Amino acid sequence: MSDRKLALVTGAGKGIGAACARALADAGFRVAVHYRSSAGAAEELAAKLPDAFALRADLAVPAEIDALVAELKERAGRVDVLVNNAGFNVNGLTAAMKLEQYDAVAAMARGTWYLTKLVLRRFMLRQEAGRIVNITSVVGSTGNPGQVPYTMVKAALDAFTKSLAQELAGRPILVNSVAPGFIDTDMTEELPEAVREALLARIPLRRMGTPEEVAEVVAWLASSARYVHGSVIHVNGGLYGG
Amino acid sequence: MSKEELFAKVVEILTPYAKNRAALAAVTPETHILDELEVNSARLVDVVLAFEDQFDIEIADEDVDAVETVADCVALIQQKLP
Ligand SMILES: NC(=O)c1ccc[n+]([C@@H]2O[C@H](COP(=O)([O-])OP(=O)(O)OC[C@H]3O[C@@H](n4cnc5c(N)ncnc54)[C@H](OP(=O)(O)O)[C@@H]3O)[C@@H](O)[C@H]2O)c1
Repeated sequence: MSDRKLALVTGAGKGIGAACARALADAGFRVAVHYRSSAGAAEELAAKLPDAFALRADLAVPAEIDALVAELKERAGRVDVLVNNAGFNVNGLTAAMKLEQYDAVAAMARGTWYLTKLVLRRFMLRQEAGRIVNITSVVGSTGNPGQVPYTMVKAALDAFTKSLAQELAGRPILVNSVAPGFIDTDMTEELPEAVREALLARIPLRRMGTPEEVAEVVAWLASSARYVHGSVIHVNGGLYGG
Repeated sequence: MSKEELFAKVVEILTPYAKNRAALAAVTPETHILDELEVNSARLVDVVLAFEDQFDIEIADEDVDAVETVADCVALIQQKLP
């Protein structure tokens, strides 16, 4: 087992995940840059961070999660921080949405649960230490039209944070959610101009957040926070206070 | 490792988790881990991790379902050992 603490960030090839990987590397962690389809970006990022490496898995497929954890065991032998950042959304009104679309979005709740379970079982319970950060979303608390399955998954992951924190009672493994508001990434790029304007009008800071502004909260939870546990931390420029 | 040695090792691993000290003192292969030794079910995972580390084996969740007694642990570990 290497002496250097390892942080696994899922969906770290781009957007908020990539910013988390950079912030955690700056905080001194060796970073495992997970990706599904963003292979080029993930490899490039890993090459820039000290001692980091990229690894692939589709989190909708349990066997690929098994393989991911086996690879981590082989390459690092430890996981100190798990940032469950990977997320997937399909916009659409409920009456028009197909079951397969629902399943593709919902798969992320199951995949996050299964990966976390294995990371606990294989690494954190053994190490008797760990930090788990689930990247959820403000819309899991507020709801959002056109994103029913996505908001269901995000609310479920906030409940996951709270339940797991209670279940881990007596163990020094902290679990929290970071719930971003509207952050400038590929996920929000597709918003129509009118929707974007209406959104900005509701944000007291009058602008979207940056991935780095989410990542600095994640890095703080992963490295400095000691008494924050089972919480949902909102990072949204004032849009919603919790 | 003989069956007797394995049994002793399993008991040693269970010892810190067994709340019923009398049952532990009188332990036999047939002793029930949860009902008699009164190992807290929330700590069962720690016992499994200790087995894995001690014997350098991997135990699947399905394997754990079948474990009730000390003898079940011995059999499971024996089956996983190279
Ligand atoms: N942007 C926002 O305004 C906002 C607001 C609130 C919450 N969030 C949340 O923040 C997280 C990051 O989002 P982002 O804005 O950075 O969006 P993004 O750039 O679209 O990133 C999503 C990431 O999830 C990964 N992913 C998706 N499906 C996957 C699967 N089946 N298996 C493995 N990985 C999968 C993607 O990996 P590949 O690219 O490698 O396929 C990608 O890296 C998500 O959980 C999102 O819900 C974002």
